[in-house]
Amino acid sequence: MSDSLQTTTTHIGWRTSGLGRPSQNRNRGFLQSVVVLLLLVAGCQRGEELGPVARANSSIKIRDAFSSSSGDVASGGASGATGTGWATLQGRFVFDGTPPEMEPYNVNKDQATCVTGGKTPLQETLLVDSATKGIANVAIYVRSASRVHESAGPKEDSQKFDQKACVFLAHVFPLTVGQTMQIMNSDNVGHNTNIDGKNGFNQIIPAGETVAFKPQKEEAVPVGIACSIHPWMKAYFLPRKNGYYAVTGADGSFEIANVPAGENLEFQVWHESSGGRGGPLVLNTPQAKELKWSKKGRFKIKLAEDEVRELELTVPAAAFGG
Amino acid sequence: MNRNGDAICICPEGSTQRSPGQVSTCRDAALGSFLWIATAALLVGCDSAQPPEFRLNMVEAVTQETAPEYQQEIADVLGALFGTPDKPFAMPESGLDQSKLRLAAGPAWSDQHGYNFGLYRRHCVHCHGVTGDGRGPTARFLNPYPRDYRPGVYKFKSTFNPARPTDADLHTVLINGVPGTAMPSFSLLPNSEVEALVEYVKYLSYRGQMETELIKYVYDELGEEEAENENGEALVDGDGEPVMLRIPLDPANDAEQREIIVGILEEIVAGWDEANDQIIMPEVGDLPDDDRSAEEIFASVEKGRKLFYGVRANCIKCHGPTALGDGQTDDHNNWQKAHKKFLEDTAAMAESLHRSENELPDQIEAIEAQEKEGQIDSAEAEEQIQELEDQLDGERQLYVSRFEVGETLYPLRNAMPRNLRQGIYRGGRRRVDVFWRIYTGIAGTPMPGSGPASPGAKGTLTEAEMWNIVDYVITLPYEAASQPQKALPKNIDEVL
Repeated sequence: MSDSLQTTTTHIGWRTSGLGRPSQNRNRGFLQSVVVLLLLVAGCQRGEELGPVARANSSIKIRDAFSSSSGDVASGGASGATGTGWATLQGRFVFDGTPPEMEPYNVNKDQATCVTGGKTPLQETLLVDSATKGIANVAIYVRSASRVHESAGPKEDSQKFDQKACVFLAHVFPLTVGQTMQIMNSDNVGHNTNIDGKNGFNQIIPAGETVAFKPQKEEAVPVGIACSIHPWMKAYFLPRKNGYYAVTGADGSFEIANVPAGENLEFQVWHESSGGRGGPLVLNTPQAKELKWSKKGRFKIKLAEDEVRELELTVPAAAFGG
Repeated sequence: MNRNGDAICICPEGSTQRSPGQVSTCRDAALGSFLWIATAALLVGCDSAQPPEFRLNMVEAVTQETAPEYQQEIADVLGALFGTPDKPFAMPESGLDQSKLRLAAGPAWSDQHGYNFGLYRRHCVHCHGVTGDGRGPTARFLNPYPRDYRPGVYKFKSTFNPARPTDADLHTVLINGVPGTAMPSFSLLPNSEVEALVEYVKYLSYRGQMETELIKYVYDELGEEEAENENGEALVDGDGEPVMLRIPLDPANDAEQREIIVGILEEIVAGWDEANDQIIMPEVGDLPDDDRSAEEIFASVEKGRKLFYGVRANCIKCHGPTALGDGQTDDHNNWQKAHKKFLEDTAAMAESLHRSENELPDQIEAIEAQEKEGQIDSAEAEEQIQELEDQLDGERQLYVSRFEVGETLYPLRNAMPRNLRQGIYRGGRRRVDVFWRIYTGIAGTPMPGSGPASPGAKGTLTEAEMWNIVDYVITLPYEAASQPQKALPKNIDEVL
């Protein structure tokens, strides 16, 4: 016990002797007591325990509310009025700034297959078309729809998802729940396809073979697809309950047809490099402010029946953390 | 003490010279004794512990930018749905057995008949932590790190990859332990105690999954919203700015939120309940016979070897051409991947914050120049500058909260493919255990499956082929290469 006490004072004495000059004995004593006091105050809170804990009173109140089904029903449970008819939203995402140059992937195995013609494949984290400045691979989709046009209902067909030269040939793609993803491997080496999120999937895809995968659950944002064997391979997919989604093409254009007209529709916009980290695409431009673009990368719009709304959205380089 | 290790006297102006053991001549003895008392308090103070509490998953909360008010509300809702470590609670919708939970929860003690209570704290908490986050006091020193129950993902189970484990799977892990890791066997516990622990582990998973879903729900559906009057028109304040309202997470008063939360809970519970329908039952026709001849076994091992090294099963990519587990070693499991992403994003945010800070003076200068030229008035200029500074402040706060959480994470570790020559099988050494690993992969890790991903889907390999690989893998530890010749004793002549 006395040993440990000595160690403690050693520590304090050492800390303070580093801080004060020998002539400042008064100061030193003061500093030592401050250090001890600080330790006293901080000592019992373990640094790792961040965040709040439940307040007993509030928890009991909430539990009571759950067990008795009474309580105030929130006014206007259904979200707003529904309109009639259908409309279309289309447009483009245009890059404002100097388009970034994509670095080559770090291809550290299977070079014979993965580096074709001496060219290492380039990353696709932010693809800007040099001619039109369009931004590819922006996902834009309706967060929730009060009604769904038959053309946008859940589909049941299959979509190919291929990999060649150790690159996924689709980088960002949507599917409706119920559609089948035909995961192909056009390489002569084996891959595995490891899909994150609620539809977890991780299966070997041998050279030249195809494996089917049918996602069952909707995701709020695109989830990652990777190959554990070739860790540089990366893609994203977005399973949704309906087809009110689009991923921009090479020229940055998109179209979502037959969305409900005459009511507020909330769109989510996502890009894998938003803010330099990936996630909701946040825009601060005057144009975006007009649309009341939120920090969650969402905006609301009300379209008239049979209207075709054109949105040309300028995205400053800063939106990608650049 | 000075740097020579001698004690120094702590007094305002007295001598600081003192040899070891000599009585202090300080004038200000009061300060000295205060320090001793304070130091003693330091040493004993932390033992008078508060009852343990469930903590929020801060990696998730900070990632989803959950505001402190919401963090508190989420903690309260979780307290309502699941209680506390001393007083667990099971909603009827959870289907959890409250009596089992009571046996497992709370402080460890035994009654006069020798019945044990507080089983989780007696056996598990030091590694898996109060919250089941795999961050008990010993966790940092273990390799692999203890399982974090909160995502509800378990590696060693009989079900398809994305499915939850069955109760029997968890039971098996408790009975067998996880060979090759710090997880011991609890086979000496009475069955009732193991069952109580299984229930409690599930309870911690339900709670952890609920927590993540609540954080997502708050992010997705709540937050600030423009206030509207009864006619659905936006309210504005004196400056014409919209009035913003925070929608609280308040299921005590909001029936709709209650309904949503119960819905989330039911979905979580359904995932666990359907595990029993997701068990992989080997096809009887493909099962290797019990009475195979040596030749038949050898033929199967040979087929397995070819598959192991071939491009269809691709085992060598990760387990290495030597099967020592030295192939693909630069990947991570999902738990570590989440932390890696968190740390990388935090670093990226530090960089962007740094950039914003550097740009601020120029931006302010530009606004002031506009003001001078009369393009904007001084009030507007001030407002714009304020907006820039607020934005930077917000970024800074976010960064600090991320940094704080990042500091608490353990060092990142890579996912190491198993060395198959040791004969140590974490998920069990029965042939069917190895078969399940090959069939469905290992959930939460880079190990992919070779069988169908879900009931009725098409697999990569046939079951017969997977049994061939099982045969090969379980003979690997007995190959000559796995049994290096020991050096002969020096006095070999005398021995022979």
